[in-house]
Amino acid sequence: MENIALKELLYKIADDQLILGHRNSEWTGMGPLLEEDIAFSSMAQDKVGQSYAIYQMLHQLGEQEPDTVAFMRNATQFHNCQLVELPNGEYDFSLIRHLLFDTAEYIRFDYLSTSSYQPLADLAGKIKGELQYHTLHANTLIKKLGTATEESINRLQHSLQVALPYALGIFEPSPYENILIEHKIFKGEVALQQAWQEKIEFIISKTQLTLTDWKVLQPVYGGRVGRHTEHLQPLLDEMSEVFKIDPTAEW
Amino acid sequence: MKSLDPRVNRLPEISNEVKPKAPLDQLGTFEVFVQAKENKPFQHEGIVHASDIELAFVLAKETFTRRFTCVALFVTDTRDVFVSPLTESNINAYDVLPDATENLKQNEESFLIFHLPKRGKQHVLVGNVMASSPLEAMHQAKNTLQDGKPVFNVWAIRENAIRMTSEEELILWQSLPNKKYRDAADYKAGDKLTRFLEKNKS
Repeated sequence: MENIALKELLYKIADDQLILGHRNSEWTGMGPLLEEDIAFSSMAQDKVGQSYAIYQMLHQLGEQEPDTVAFMRNATQFHNCQLVELPNGEYDFSLIRHLLFDTAEYIRFDYLSTSSYQPLADLAGKIKGELQYHTLHANTLIKKLGTATEESINRLQHSLQVALPYALGIFEPSPYENILIEHKIFKGEVALQQAWQEKIEFIISKTQLTLTDWKVLQPVYGGRVGRHTEHLQPLLDEMSEVFKIDPTAEW
Repeated sequence: MKSLDPRVNRLPEISNEVKPKAPLDQLGTFEVFVQAKENKPFQHEGIVHASDIELAFVLAKETFTRRFTCVALFVTDTRDVFVSPLTESNINAYDVLPDATENLKQNEESFLIFHLPKRGKQHVLVGNVMASSPLEAMHQAKNTLQDGKPVFNVWAIRENAIRMTSEEELILWQSLPNKKYRDAADYKAGDKLTRFLEKNKS
């Protein structure tokens, strides 16, 4: 049972990173300015790299090869939250998603740095700098644009309203929550959500944006059990298009 | 003048009246300095466009240090870089500095001094001096930071005008050595091609 719980945790982390990494990479060559284009692309590459590291852990636990797991599953077999699969839309939405997701990811890996599952604790230590940069980037951009012009504030505010219910889906309750906590693998989604809300409130308080009362927000769940929006399967088709031409090819 | 050529578009408008210089129609520029290894000096790497120095630091990190080794960086507004005359041949830039006014030891502050050791190379940090103006800082550096070889350009930057990597941010480059795939040379295309050709020879 402990192994099943661990795999469920690993799959949702890795799938989140892979899908958002792919989404963010869609900005490559189209970022709002060259330097930002490079930064966003680099962070997208970090996310794909992080997902690869976790797929390797899953392989060690008996799952298939990382490439097979990443490229050969259908949408219903993915465990990412729906937030990460939503189309990029305008840059304001991508930035808000970046803030909401990466803040959660930073705290999640901070918790995992003391996990009893040593490979996960080691990975958390190894990528801490990457995650710190991702949050530094998100916080800086949101603070600047969230206090800049009427247009930038309005656009971010609109995206925040749209993204928040999906962001709560990051913390979709796990059937294995108690097992993970009991075995000191992970502190759990409830603790993570609480810490995340406090951090988001703090960052947003530095801007002219406003947060909807958490109590009235309706979380969008389903991603963790394979229920996805219509946007995921086209993303997977595109992402795996080359791999599927010849899955045995060496690149 | 209507043209798609940016060199033409950016030409100042010809006007008969005296008016203030038009503000930039793009973000300002910030100079980026990178330290490749501990105990190595910071070196100028290039510029980034940004709305302020904090964002410049964030963007500089990926623009200039997403490949190769790096332990720290700092940025400064281009307008805060004071530049000596540029020389060539064996003329030392320090020898053609304009005279400085007398040092009254008032309002002294720390200036970082950079040398251009070779034309076509990057400016390198050589140390800091206390002075009350950039020109005075260069004169101070002439006496204290030269190693005998001519330098072709000197930069002076007020230390309080830089955004330096903080202690907590030193971790930002921690996983960089593992990202050799970002360097094109890491993809051994020649080796792969040789293996492919040998495999298909038989």
